[in-house]
Amino acid sequence: MDIKNSKENILNTAEKLRWEVGEDFHDNVMETIYTDAARIADIVVIKDNKKAFHLDRFIDRLVTSKWTGFPIMFLLLALVFWLTVIGANYPSGLLANIFVDFLYPVIRQYAVSFGTPLWITGLLIDGGYLALAWVVSVMLPPMAIFFPMFTILEDFGYLPRVSFNMDSLYRKVGAHGKQALTMSMGFGCNAAGVIAARVIDSPREKLIAIITNNFSLCNGRWPTQILIATIFVGTLVPAEYSGLLSASAVIFVALLGIGLSLLVSLFLSRTMLKGEPSAFSLELPPYRPPKILQTLYTSLVDRTLFVLWRAMVFAFPAGMVIWLVSNINVGNNTVAEIFIDWADPFGLFIGLNGVILLAYIIAIPANEIVIPTILMLTIMVTGIHNVGEGSGVLFELSDVNETANILKAGGWTALTGINLMLFSLMHNPCSTTIYTIYKETKSLKWTLVSTILPIAMGLTVCFFIAQIWRLLE
Amino acid sequence: MNESMQALIIGLSALVAMFLLIWPKGGILGLFKRITRDKKRELIEDSLKYIYNCEYNKNCLCVDELKNNLSISSDKVKNLLHSLEETDLIKTENSKYSLTSEGRSYALRIIRIHRLLERHFADQTSYKDTEWHDKAENAEHSVSFEEANRLAAKMGNPIFDPHGDPIPNEKGQIPLIEGKSLKDISAGIIVKIIHIEDEPTNIYSQLVALGISPGMQITITEKSDKRIKFIANNDECVIAPAFAENITVAELNETEQDYTGFSLLADLKPGYLATVRSISKACRGQQRRRLLDFGIVPGTKIYSDLESLGGDPAAYIVRGTKVALRKKQAREIYISDIEKEDLNG
Repeated sequence: MDIKNSKENILNTAEKLRWEVGEDFHDNVMETIYTDAARIADIVVIKDNKKAFHLDRFIDRLVTSKWTGFPIMFLLLALVFWLTVIGANYPSGLLANIFVDFLYPVIRQYAVSFGTPLWITGLLIDGGYLALAWVVSVMLPPMAIFFPMFTILEDFGYLPRVSFNMDSLYRKVGAHGKQALTMSMGFGCNAAGVIAARVIDSPREKLIAIITNNFSLCNGRWPTQILIATIFVGTLVPAEYSGLLSASAVIFVALLGIGLSLLVSLFLSRTMLKGEPSAFSLELPPYRPPKILQTLYTSLVDRTLFVLWRAMVFAFPAGMVIWLVSNINVGNNTVAEIFIDWADPFGLFIGLNGVILLAYIIAIPANEIVIPTILMLTIMVTGIHNVGEGSGVLFELSDVNETANILKAGGWTALTGINLMLFSLMHNPCSTTIYTIYKETKSLKWTLVSTILPIAMGLTVCFFIAQIWRLLE
Repeated sequence: MNESMQALIIGLSALVAMFLLIWPKGGILGLFKRITRDKKRELIEDSLKYIYNCEYNKNCLCVDELKNNLSISSDKVKNLLHSLEETDLIKTENSKYSLTSEGRSYALRIIRIHRLLERHFADQTSYKDTEWHDKAENAEHSVSFEEANRLAAKMGNPIFDPHGDPIPNEKGQIPLIEGKSLKDISAGIIVKIIHIEDEPTNIYSQLVALGISPGMQITITEKSDKRIKFIANNDECVIAPAFAENITVAELNETEQDYTGFSLLADLKPGYLATVRSISKACRGQQRRRLLDFGIVPGTKIYSDLESLGGDPAAYIVRGTKVALRKKQAREIYISDIEKEDLNG
């Protein structure tokens, strides 16, 4: 028989058979494999977990019931946040004492005693080192407390139940119930929240969770909110109510962030991310006693140190930039002053000011150093002499009233304060988070969207609030 | 105060302008995209596709319908047919138009691209079933034949589009569908939907709204000149006979299981145990694999354990694992042999 002909015959027959076999056969093969695997498993695997199973189902009833589900969730999350805020104060102070108050002058003097040129000590020690020390001492303690607690809840098996309960809400905005977790994680640190979005295995919902994570007010922004609320919102009412009002203002901003993350999720799922592949699945693993040591290790190494390292990598060069812009003179003024002068009209127009705009640009590695940068720059432009450590050197004041005086000398009003609180919620993520988003999505497009979307929203909101404020004034 | 008012008005109008610019459907950007498309080639390709479909379904080509289908004027249709003839894509015999072999292979190439794209939108994206056709219609002219072939290879060379139409292979071969219109089926017989016509869109979207899809088994319960009643997924659907023409069905062959009597997992109440029978064809791509990964295959025992606070999703126990599924997915899983079971007892 002719070989060429028979080859063609075979191919033609195969082509004909393709139609006859139909499209179901892939599924059928797959289903058969699974069925066989299940059959074999049933024969050889012996199950004996009746007792654990009872407890499991009892806890499940408890945490998903109409009456106890939400209260338990709120109490647990509130406890985690409360412990983080309270618990982080002391170690933060300690680290600041060591790195900033003690080591910084020592290193500086040591360098000076060797006759190191002033600009080198300024660039490396006043700039790079100080920013690094600042980021470590403010960032490390809350993360080292928050992440292990969160991981323990996760390990215990409770967090998947939170996703389960919250899914109906997130489904309505086109997102995944697990976004409730990445969002909560974002309250600790947005970069960690973005990494946590790995647990969402559906591409569209994962992107939504990553892009909206920035609307969770992170650890680095809470102190800013509290400080500014105390100075500018609390003073709007008589002293006895000021604490209550400023606390409510901060909580309002945090809740606004949650609202915005839902709104932006809805927007994204209807527009930019419409059509991205999407699939839902959520496993509810059995409850088990958390492995404390392993949890501590993974949460400290994988989450805390990982994120901290990224932040440090960005903090050092950014610290140098902060020092440089406040120390390089062009004509009679520093680069920072020239920029502030130039940006001031626009800044004031949208109810902020040039100092704030510059601070948000150069303090990009971490939200923690925004307030120190603002203070340093304000001192520089107002020419106040008796506070601070010199141009380009970050500092913070323990006394709220002193801080208030500096800011007011810088021309701040209640409008500036309120707009700063909103801008702090809605601005580009810190460079650590931006880098993490790029690493996680491997896409320049989504990295840009997550960076530009919030800042566009922030500028717009500040603009409208400023105009309406002036109209009412 | 006046200045702020001005700024406020300017800001608001800027917002409105932005909105107009990027609004997906009527936006200026969308308009620009539409204007810059190669209209002429699109018309040629669309008309060839249309003529091919007429021949495939053994209807004669009706110039009026072609005009409506392409939504252009009668003069333009005349010009178009004329230029098709000049380029040897169609020929006239006894004043009837038919495709030349070149025209047919061109048409089949476009149809292959169109159906592959529909398949892609159905399996690999989250666009809704009513959007697949329009999406493919928009994209088919800008996707090259080679790109479509690569897409096909990636999807494992599918042979049917999500509406049940066969996808021509690379050589342009295509089988004839053997099936009957739902209109010609008498009451009481269990049939399988093999094709739902996706044009015109308004009829198709109404059919989709009934929750029917190719692969689904249905039984006609009542038939008259005015309406056809049938059971699909345990729901009773009523449609006009004109709509039934757009549904092609076939009788079950001996290897196929009849699952019209099965219930849906979504209707399984907590505390009840059932056996999985099948996963609907409407559950596709990643989602289908996910369910298989959990071991949700025919024969698996599944136990409805608890509902979340809002009732959706609900958690099921499959092979000792607790899995949460949304209502929408649970509606795509067929079950039978429902019995009450107390796991704690």
